[in-house]
Amino acid sequence: MKPILLQGHERSITQIKFNREGDLLFSSSKDPIPNVWWSINGERLGTFDGHTGAIWAIDVKWDTTVFASGSADQSLRLWDCETGKTISKLQMKASVRGISFSYSGNLIAYTTDKMMGQQSELNIIDVREPNNVDDTAIMKAQVTPTNQKALSVLWGPLDETVVTGHEDGAIIKWDIRTSKKTDVAIEHTKQINDMQLGHDGTMFITASKDSTARLWDLSTLEPLKIFKTDRPVNSAAISPLIDKHPYVVLGGGQEAMEVTTTAARVGKFDARFFHAVFEEEFARVKGHFGPINSLAFHPNGKGYASGGEDGFVRVHVFDDAYNQFRFDY
Amino acid sequence: MPVAEESVKSSWADEVEEVEVTGGNSSTEFPHPIVKNDGNSKTITEVVLNEDDKKVKVISHYKIEKHRVAKSIAQRKTWKKFGLSENDKPGPNPATTIGAEEVQMQFLSSKDEDPSESDDLKKKLIDSQKGQVKCRLCKEDHWTKQCPYKDKLEPLRSSLMDDEKDEEPAAAAPQEKKTGIPGKYVPPSMREGGSKKGESMISNRRDETATVRVTNLSENTREQDLQELFRPFGEISRIFLAKDKFTMASKGFAFINYKRRDDAARAIQVINGFGYDHLILNVEWANLNI
Repeated sequence: MKPILLQGHERSITQIKFNREGDLLFSSSKDPIPNVWWSINGERLGTFDGHTGAIWAIDVKWDTTVFASGSADQSLRLWDCETGKTISKLQMKASVRGISFSYSGNLIAYTTDKMMGQQSELNIIDVREPNNVDDTAIMKAQVTPTNQKALSVLWGPLDETVVTGHEDGAIIKWDIRTSKKTDVAIEHTKQINDMQLGHDGTMFITASKDSTARLWDLSTLEPLKIFKTDRPVNSAAISPLIDKHPYVVLGGGQEAMEVTTTAARVGKFDARFFHAVFEEEFARVKGHFGPINSLAFHPNGKGYASGGEDGFVRVHVFDDAYNQFRFDY
Repeated sequence: MPVAEESVKSSWADEVEEVEVTGGNSSTEFPHPIVKNDGNSKTITEVVLNEDDKKVKVISHYKIEKHRVAKSIAQRKTWKKFGLSENDKPGPNPATTIGAEEVQMQFLSSKDEDPSESDDLKKKLIDSQKGQVKCRLCKEDHWTKQCPYKDKLEPLRSSLMDDEKDEEPAAAAPQEKKTGIPGKYVPPSMREGGSKKGESMISNRRDETATVRVTNLSENTREQDLQELFRPFGEISRIFLAKDKFTMASKGFAFINYKRRDDAARAIQVINGFGYDHLILNVEWANLNI
């Protein structure tokens, strides 16, 4: 594999995301400017200038018209993907930690940080008219102090439920019509760093600081599989070609604050590929010289991208060794 | 859309030449970029100023690929660049997009899965060796070279050496005789490693696949030593130590037959290169053809 190195950020990457068709790759970092790239050759399409704080979370609408970013400057912005102009800006009272477009693209769920006397909240807003967004939430749920703060958020099927990942490792499912918790699953013992849906939306994977990643059934919140490593897992993704290549990829490594005390080899900054069924690691890809903070499979399943604490995004296209690999069982 | 394959900077020699020609004068006009396009690839040659205000010739090679894509993707391809990329030329900007070094996906075979085990064995081995290493100077548990009293004792010892020399072979010889001479005849079926039943000629042929050859053994190695050294890796069916017919001293090589090939493989992995009796052991498969 000959990865393409994207060097558009000045600080560590927080999240990367492909659009639905995989031709564009969005990236955000702790600097205030998210970037968008053509995934095929790594050419930068543009940057979204406007925020004044770290970008914690990004998402893009299914038709790649609207791009949403949640920032530590206590705002959420909607952008026009084509021009990079802000369509609307929603001012919050706390940083936005997780953000997710619903499947239809009509709603956005976002979670806010617990800070400065504000409680962590889960909100859902209607963005059918992105130019004229009503910032009164159609669903509002206070997360803290009954639970730890919510970091990441995902939509369930048919835009009826949302799932949040929390600082204490809990996974909570909410019914958006009643704003009530319907399920709480506590399997992870430490903070959930990332949650990603599988391609068909039936399963999702959580990456946790407790050095494991878990595969869940989205409708029942039943834990299906566990993938164990020996370092905190910052991100995990499920292969879209789950029938042919039933793999998941995990990224992580030592905590950023401890990195300077060890050599890169010891830090284990590799992307690790696990067989989704047998829970066994079968391959690794080196490259980053800091922990991987975000991973994403290309929607066609033929490649993946990783963003690291080192500020680089690496876009990989799998070679024949991956395509021909058969797990030995 | 052009795809960056690699962007090759001119060689150092070229740069120097370039600077000489233009005399380092940055006010001279830059020649227009030369673009060569032959359908499948494009080569752009241009002269730019680098960070040190030196003129550099940059030759960029692009591979042109054609992809059939969905209409929506093709539509997005026509989008103009914006934000910080607004002024970028078509094609990847080398400042933000870099072709990284080739990386290989490293597939983990079951073999490398627990390196901890062989580490343990190595440690065990080193522990078991502790008593065997003896300093010639202070008789302590370390190599002579690492003896802390080396400076003091070395001259003393060398002065004594001459006296000892005569005694040493005499003392060593009887000991060797005692252990070296084989005892009473034992039928093959009763020997260690042999099955209790009688063996036919055919089944007597040893399984060569689990046999390792040890070379560079010291002269006073005995079977017993090899047993101690190689037993930790698994059951051994036979040890053959080549000895001189008359002196019974080791000829410096031996064969160890393991019952299982895995054990043999581990023994090779761990013992090969291991220091034993002032020599570095060389351990390999006995039959390299298999």
